[in-house]
Amino acid sequence: MIELDTEVGDGAAVIRPSGRLTMIVTPHLRTLITDTVRSGRNRIVVDLSACEFVDSSGLGALIAGLKTARQAGGDLRIAGVGPQIATVLRLTNLDRVLRAHDTVSGALDAG
Amino acid sequence: MPDNEGRRHAYSLTAPAEPASLERVHALLQTVWTDHGDITAADRMLFELAVTEVAGNIAQHAPDGTPLDFTLHVCVHPDRIEAEFLDTGRRAEIDLTAAAMPSEMSESGRGLAMTLAAVDELVYRRDSNTNHWRLVRRRRVS
Repeated sequence: MIELDTEVGDGAAVIRPSGRLTMIVTPHLRTLITDTVRSGRNRIVVDLSACEFVDSSGLGALIAGLKTARQAGGDLRIAGVGPQIATVLRLTNLDRVLRAHDTVSGALDAG
Repeated sequence: MPDNEGRRHAYSLTAPAEPASLERVHALLQTVWTDHGDITAADRMLFELAVTEVAGNIAQHAPDGTPLDFTLHVCVHPDRIEAEFLDTGRRAEIDLTAAAMPSEMSESGRGLAMTLAAVDELVYRRDSNTNHWRLVRRRRVS
């Protein structure tokens, strides 16, 4: 399941996937990010605090979302990263491009 | 067969080669982790990642248009955890010796490199009409 919260400020949106971010749900995540950016919200925070597991397709969707947001002049940040996701980000060296913020508000406020 | 502490150590499932079956793979591994609480968090995490990547690869690439099942066997040993996948779908067009992590902004192509990083042994072989994948993670001492 993926929740979309657009009540977080102008041009921003929080996307909250829950459970496992695998190829079962990543097509939905990709579409949701693209549609959200197209609707004028190019500052995306993906809140992963309810997400216990991510695989390569989940990482691919986050990178695709990051590119989509940046191409629209915005950014994509991640928050609430648990131990499995932190491990996978390190394993793939993506912890530098998808920097994890402790909280959603921290991710929204970061410069 | 139960071990001398009364625990199972061999687990299997057969499921359709499609993305939805990943949830059944996770459910099987959850049973393994519940039975074997002495497997470290890192071993669980990385083994589950590798098994998920291979299951995803089979779901995505093995079917040739007709319904296809795959079988997964997981075996817990005192010093290692093993998984074996079997399916009779298309041959996997992979080169394990050339699997490298793609550039940071790549949207795909990480699965095999992640699998290789997560386990100690990854073997693929095509035997007659059957694909065999074997994954081994040596258990680290906690």
